[in-house]
Amino acid sequence: MTHLELDGVTKIFGDPSKDGIVAVNDLDIDVPDGDFLVLLGPSGCGKTTTLRMIGGLEEPTEGEVRFDGTVVNDVKARNRDIAMVFQDFALYPHMTVRENLGFGLRREDNDMTDEEIDDRIVETAEMLEIEELLNNKPAQLSGGQKQRVALGRAIIREPRLFLFDEPLANLDAQLRKTMRTEIDELQSEVGITSAYVTHNQEEAMTIADKIAVLDAGELQQLGSPDQVFNEPANLFVAQFVGSPDMNLFDGTLSERPDAFRVEMDGSSFDIPKRLVDADITTDEVLVGFRPQDFYQTRRRALDGPEFDTQVRVVEPVGTEAVVHGDSAPGDLTAKVGGFHDLSSGETLSLTIAPEHVYLFDAQTEELLKGRLVAERADGQATADEVEA
Amino acid sequence: MATDNTDPTAEYRKNQSWLFDSKAGGYLRKTAIDLLTLVIAVFVLFPLYWMIVTAFKTTAEIQQIPPTLFPTEFSLEGFRLVLESSLESSGYDSFVESTFGVDISSAINIDILGMILNSLKVAIGAGVIAVVLGTGASYVLSRREFRGKNVLMSLLLASLMFPGTAIMVPEWELISTLGLFNTHLALILIYGAMTSPFVVWLMKGFFDDFPDSIVEASRIDQCSSFETFWYVIVPMARNSLIASFIFAFLLAWNELVFALTLLDNQNYTVPPGLLTFVQGFNTQWNVVAAASIIISIPVLIGLAYIQQYFVQGLTGGAIKG
Repeated sequence: MTHLELDGVTKIFGDPSKDGIVAVNDLDIDVPDGDFLVLLGPSGCGKTTTLRMIGGLEEPTEGEVRFDGTVVNDVKARNRDIAMVFQDFALYPHMTVRENLGFGLRREDNDMTDEEIDDRIVETAEMLEIEELLNNKPAQLSGGQKQRVALGRAIIREPRLFLFDEPLANLDAQLRKTMRTEIDELQSEVGITSAYVTHNQEEAMTIADKIAVLDAGELQQLGSPDQVFNEPANLFVAQFVGSPDMNLFDGTLSERPDAFRVEMDGSSFDIPKRLVDADITTDEVLVGFRPQDFYQTRRRALDGPEFDTQVRVVEPVGTEAVVHGDSAPGDLTAKVGGFHDLSSGETLSLTIAPEHVYLFDAQTEELLKGRLVAERADGQATADEVEA
Repeated sequence: MATDNTDPTAEYRKNQSWLFDSKAGGYLRKTAIDLLTLVIAVFVLFPLYWMIVTAFKTTAEIQQIPPTLFPTEFSLEGFRLVLESSLESSGYDSFVESTFGVDISSAINIDILGMILNSLKVAIGAGVIAVVLGTGASYVLSRREFRGKNVLMSLLLASLMFPGTAIMVPEWELISTLGLFNTHLALILIYGAMTSPFVVWLMKGFFDDFPDSIVEASRIDQCSSFETFWYVIVPMARNSLIASFIFAFLLAWNELVFALTLLDNQNYTVPPGLLTFVQGFNTQWNVVAAASIIISIPVLIGLAYIQQYFVQGLTGGAIKG
């Protein structure tokens, strides 16, 4: 039960005054008690370094790490009362599962007797459904089982904080999904504040209460999965989050009495002013469309732009398909239903609601207009959702 | 291109050679490899075989020309003489004579059991020194960055390539300054120092491959540095530690020159001790061979027991979680 705060945390590897490498730069993150924070970003963005500073495995060059308001910068990892799950599980190979689970409790400065520790081990093993593996060595376990033992080793101690360093990266896709749900359930059950590192945006979206998107050591955005998806702070976040990738096209913006007119190569459309919160001063913009937001014109009429798309590839994913094609403004990716009569070479007419259009300042790459969910956009968008 | 009666598989059979693609060629290759293996095996094992058959021959048969490949007359004379001399010189002869009623009289006066004990003392001592010092040094060399690290590693490697006899004179000086002449401690120190560099290289390989995350996991499991070392690293390093120990042990067990020159007769370890059986024209080769067999047995038993760890330790891999 810990309120975790990072305040201006900076980590520089090497000599700060000379050619030190700035891994994390002036990071401010506040995680309320019991929340699940996900640090998301591409390789080398400093997310693991941040986690290691929280865990006490690295010391911040500047700034403060606080647990419940207490600065813990100079507290050693072993005294921070945290538990960590590693990407490669890091089970002790010479110990059985039982010994692995009990190791932390035995080293801890507590008054537990051997029986109490053993009871706790069995209890934890039952929770994770690994009780029949207790006498096996890690080498005899499958990847998923190892992961469960690693989780068990973390929760058995009932620590202040859980830290997860890409715990699912070494598992196969199927297992990753089930373990993801299990970690989420487990965390809500025990209610311990957690920080979780991943480069997988899907994982981050499903599991997080709060996502911190990092790039090049700097915090790009801290927000709920919803905010990160619908109102990405900048172009980087918009491109990093969401799958398939967002379509981005150059556009010019001109103001009309009650709308902004967006001109793109081969198409133009209006965005009503009521959909835009920000003061827009630029006329050079980047226009973003989520592939999921496209509809086939023949199925639904919307106020947004229309794209006649020459289909190149159709990738069916169950009931929907990802369609890659060429349109007037450039390459276009859309995720559409009712794809069975589609094949490459055909022309497909796609459209999108103005509520769902993203606008970014072409110079600063800051967000001008995010994706509005149906509730906030009155009238026509609601009709969309009804039909969907 | 193809006529009606050509084999349809013919186009898969281009570029064939008799040696690699025919059955006969396959047999020829296997036979050649088997023969080569046999030749190497004979080359390596013949001295060992010769020692064993010599031990069971009579003195007359040993001196016979041409020599016999297999003893015509099976004799345990060599073993009897070794045992008797050993009992006599260690002072157990009267006890055995009175207990078993056998008469013990030996022309040779060499205490085999005493030699084995001396050797064990020296070899175990050297092994412990090499493992303790070598492991500590390699842990630091692997985990920490400091100036001169590469120079240090190169020096350690160079010392392995240096012939031991080349530094004999300074080592004598050192030993006599320390007042350790004719003590086993002197040998323990010298052998320990000779084998430590090898242990450093072997263990450094192990520590370099040691996953950081396991050390970090133990830190997070509230271990102090020592607890991490003792509860996590040492058990995981077991195979490499055993391999290091065996290496140091074997070197100390087999080393002749320092033992011969630093010790007196009564303190001899096995290698110089065996040499005393060789007495000019009077050498009883069956006795020498029998003594060699007897002193090999304890080491062979020990090695047979731990050779599995030895191989795993040298090749690593076995420790990967």
